[in-house]
Amino acid sequence: MKSNPETFTKVKSYVPFHGPCDPCPPIGRKYYSTPPNLYLGFQPPNLPQFSPAEALKSGTLWAFFYDFYENPYKKRAGKGNG
Amino acid sequence: MVKTLPQEYYKQLEEIQVADFVLIELTLYLDTHPTDMQAIQQYNQYAHYSKQLKEKFEAAFGPLEQGSLNRTPEFWAWKSGPWPWQV
Repeated sequence: MKSNPETFTKVKSYVPFHGPCDPCPPIGRKYYSTPPNLYLGFQPPNLPQFSPAEALKSGTLWAFFYDFYENPYKKRAGKGNG
Repeated sequence: MVKTLPQEYYKQLEEIQVADFVLIELTLYLDTHPTDMQAIQQYNQYAHYSKQLKEKFEAAFGPLEQGSLNRTPEFWAWKSGPWPWQV
């Protein structure tokens, strides 16, 4: 569970199975978010912090937990309907 | 003439929001880390700072929350605008 350097990804994806009898068009790639707190467990003391003003903007005091949501589907709009 | 608020109002209000956000985050952290003395010290520092900011804001612009001091003895300031959604 403990991964010191930031080796985890914040968004993961998979391709659901699409059968021949499926009436709907294939969804393609689906994405789900895996926020940093999943990879931290019990929060250690003295984690690096944002400045207060930056903390208010980013929604968290500790930089480790910052997780900006960026719509993966919009970015992928070009490639298929994934 | 539409009553407009001075820029100082927004600046001080944002400063209060910044300080209070740090307090909220530290409160949640300290709930699960009651012995983290460094965090407690930071919490007290921001609690004191936030109280000062609110004092300054209320002296200039009126009561900020329910239970604030009503500084104008001849007028009940809490009910008068602008309300948070009008700001």
